[in-house]
Amino acid sequence: MLIELLTKKYPGMRLWLAQRLSAVAMAVYLIAFALMVALTQPAGYQDWLELMSPWWWRVFTLLFFISLVMHAWLGVRDVFKDYIFNLGLRAVLQVLVDVLLIIYLGWAGVILWSI
Amino acid sequence: MQTPSPRKRPKNLNLFTIRLPVNAIISIMHRMSGMVLFLVLPLLILAFGMSVQSESSYLEMAAMLRHWLVKLLLIALSGAFFHHFYAGLRHLAMDVHWMTSLQKARLSSRLVLCLDVLSVTIFAYAIW
Repeated sequence: MLIELLTKKYPGMRLWLAQRLSAVAMAVYLIAFALMVALTQPAGYQDWLELMSPWWWRVFTLLFFISLVMHAWLGVRDVFKDYIFNLGLRAVLQVLVDVLLIIYLGWAGVILWSI
Repeated sequence: MQTPSPRKRPKNLNLFTIRLPVNAIISIMHRMSGMVLFLVLPLLILAFGMSVQSESSYLEMAAMLRHWLVKLLLIALSGAFFHHFYAGLRHLAMDVHWMTSLQKARLSSRLVLCLDVLSVTIFAYAIW
């Protein structure tokens, strides 16, 4: 049943699921982050850098940003569809948001891999 | 036979007499907080970049965050974040069919509002 809903016949269901999965991924990351900060109590630049620099943590952080971008893309898309009725304007704004989000993701990736 | 003109239909669009139910308030706040978080996303990435780039940019960032105006802004943003987080968890709970009766939905909406206030208060206390 669930698998059937995820086939090409119902493309909206995949987006719906992507919105939920990215939300769960971000929630898990943020709770892990809060726990790490609470446990290690970083007190300055060196501590902070040590906290962020393990490769596996940077992978998690990148996954967080990927989820964030996907989640924001779907969310803003829904908001545009609900309130912007001029299709041309909506398409232009959507492209703008798409480009912005891709830039944000690239930016976050560059930051993470220059730590 | 005379049909009444559509213009003469009674209207009730006095916004002061229409009250949103608590679930609707939670829902529109979820949407608004989401947009706010999207709009401040570049600031978040900028702050994160500065915090890891070098010791001097880290200190510069830290000094900026100590300004009272920035702290007020951060508290407001924490409100957007906490609301989006808790209301989102509420959505996920409903997606797996928890708390879906009207009565329980109202209860969980009030719980979300309480958690918002509590979290923002703790956050404000912690950074001040």
